Amino acid sequence: MTALRARAPQAGLALLIAVFAVFFVLPFAGLFERGIGGSGTWDAITSNTALDALALSLWTSAVALVIAVVAGTPVAYWLTHARFPGKGAVEALIDLPIVLPPTIAGVALLTAFGRKGLLGAPLDDWFGLTLGFSTVAVIMAQLFVGAPFYVRAARAGFASVDAQYERVAHTLGASRLRAFARIVLPLSWPSLAAGAALCWARALGELGATLIFAGNLQGETQTMPLAILSAFERADGLTAAVALAILLLAVALVALAAFWLLSTRGRGTV
Amino acid sequence: MTLEFAARAQLGDFSYDARFEAGNEIVVLFGHSGAGKSLTLQLIAGLLQPDEGRIAIGGEPVFDSESGLNLPPQTRRIGYVVQDLALFPHMTVAENVEFGMTGEGRERRLAEVLDLMHLGEFRDRKPRSLSGGQQQRAALARALAREASLLLLDEPFSALDESLRVELRRELIRLRSELDLSVIFVTHDLREAHLVADRLAVFDAGRLLQFDGRERVFRAPANRRVAELTGVANILRGRVAAARDGILTVEAGGASLRAPTPNGWRPGQGEAVDIAIRAERVNLRRLDADDPGQPNLVRGTIREELGYGATHTLRFESALGETVEVEIAARPYEVLGVAGQKSWTLELPPEDLHVMAVSSEAAGSSASATTA
Repeated sequence: MTALRARAPQAGLALLIAVFAVFFVLPFAGLFERGIGGSGTWDAITSNTALDALALSLWTSAVALVIAVVAGTPVAYWLTHARFPGKGAVEALIDLPIVLPPTIAGVALLTAFGRKGLLGAPLDDWFGLTLGFSTVAVIMAQLFVGAPFYVRAARAGFASVDAQYERVAHTLGASRLRAFARIVLPLSWPSLAAGAALCWARALGELGATLIFAGNLQGETQTMPLAILSAFERADGLTAAVALAILLLAVALVALAAFWLLSTRGRGTV
Repeated sequence: MTLEFAARAQLGDFSYDARFEAGNEIVVLFGHSGAGKSLTLQLIAGLLQPDEGRIAIGGEPVFDSESGLNLPPQTRRIGYVVQDLALFPHMTVAENVEFGMTGEGRERRLAEVLDLMHLGEFRDRKPRSLSGGQQQRAALARALAREASLLLLDEPFSALDESLRVELRRELIRLRSELDLSVIFVTHDLREAHLVADRLAVFDAGRLLQFDGRERVFRAPANRRVAELTGVANILRGRVAAARDGILTVEAGGASLRAPTPNGWRPGQGEAVDIAIRAERVNLRRLDADDPGQPNLVRGTIREELGYGATHTLRFESALGETVEVEIAARPYEVLGVAGQKSWTLELPPEDLHVMAVSSEAAGSSASATTA
């Protein structure tokens, strides 16, 4: 019965799959066709602009990821177990940046931490500290849009660990910290790893919020996505844009592959 | 090792109140689900906190509402096996067992405990690759490895088939004497309770109805509810006609029953009482001319019959005014020719009758438990 039903639309389904696949594969093919065919690709990849942007992208997104994990893990754990009125609202607020267009995030960050912002103005007045249009702003923008992905995944991971394990661990003499480290963390590791990968990827690709809140200054706030945008906007800049895109794509793929290997090895011991 | 336990708690609509103690023995907490048995274990373990009370393990208080003492679970030295075992799925058997160990000589003690529970060959296996009985033993090993002398077991054999249950019960009784353990054992299975208990605590709706030696609870339930919970099929309502020389005469329906006066209680003439007799204690006699009028002999007619192979359960309409259930083994059933005969004389032997005070169900709290 089910086999018959599965077979009936075979031709139609195959066509649909093919069209769908082409839609996703073709852009990558185009990218590589243009990159390999075009002259000046290598020059663009090895240009100072590209290397500066790549270095900035890598280390800022790494810092954003570390902050997201260090601060997000306890928050996610607390949110999983806490019971209080308005918990749903708090969770929705944390998830909000996931659905928020990044440009809105950029404007919002500017109104809070910019020179004339809610917190930015007193910081500037009293300490002469300016956050906007600095490398710190880049990291803040990446954290703002990336961290919710990690917190969300971590919450799901923690919730999937039967609370009974922790209770039993306590009766076996384990402190809360030890129960967390030996029981909760290993059991929720796949979710945490997936959340971290998403968070990092989102931070690496961040464009809109960074552009508005941090600006586009080579070596200081110009990350790879911004460098691609700048290249593209120049007359006849498509070659450079393609080259940078290929570079970022390659780095992202390598990093995610390494991450995936690490996390599956982690799961192997689980 | 001893446990002293007294706790009162209000959890939403559920009110809990119990008091008992345990020495070097197996105390079975018995009752239906939701009676408060598992809750008792959680209170002892420190996973829940009573509103009032005092809990002491080995003479050392771990909870005392008066002084505000409340030790966290990790500092109460107990071994707790929860109903679903909760073996850590990402750890091997050895890692699970080692989890709660502290101090010197862990490797040697690990080997000892694994050996004791016949788990040596499974030490490097993950829990999910073990059978139900092996998982059970691993959970028990993990609790024992703490070197706790108070063991809390929550329906530990519920997931096992009968042959494994028998083996593990035997194991438990052996461990109790070998390791000098106090064991608090939760079950809703009457047969299991009977098999492992030294003393029995009968719980119902958050109350400890009776706490007594196993035989005492089964032979002399404190009240109607305990009798019902411990499987007494016949609980008759009667009125005391006479009390003389340690013998009560009770009128029940149209019949007269003689029964020994219960310990520590002297019902007055005319007082309403409940009389308990187990179905297997009622004897069948062929109808006889001199039966009527004799105490403890009642005419009855079979209205319903259930054959279980080894035993038969017969339900009689009788002069007692209530249905009397009789359980009879297959052999006497055949010898007496019960199948072809509906009318019988029922003999309710005085020594098997237990007279109980009529109490409102809720009143059977710790007060009546201590007098029982």
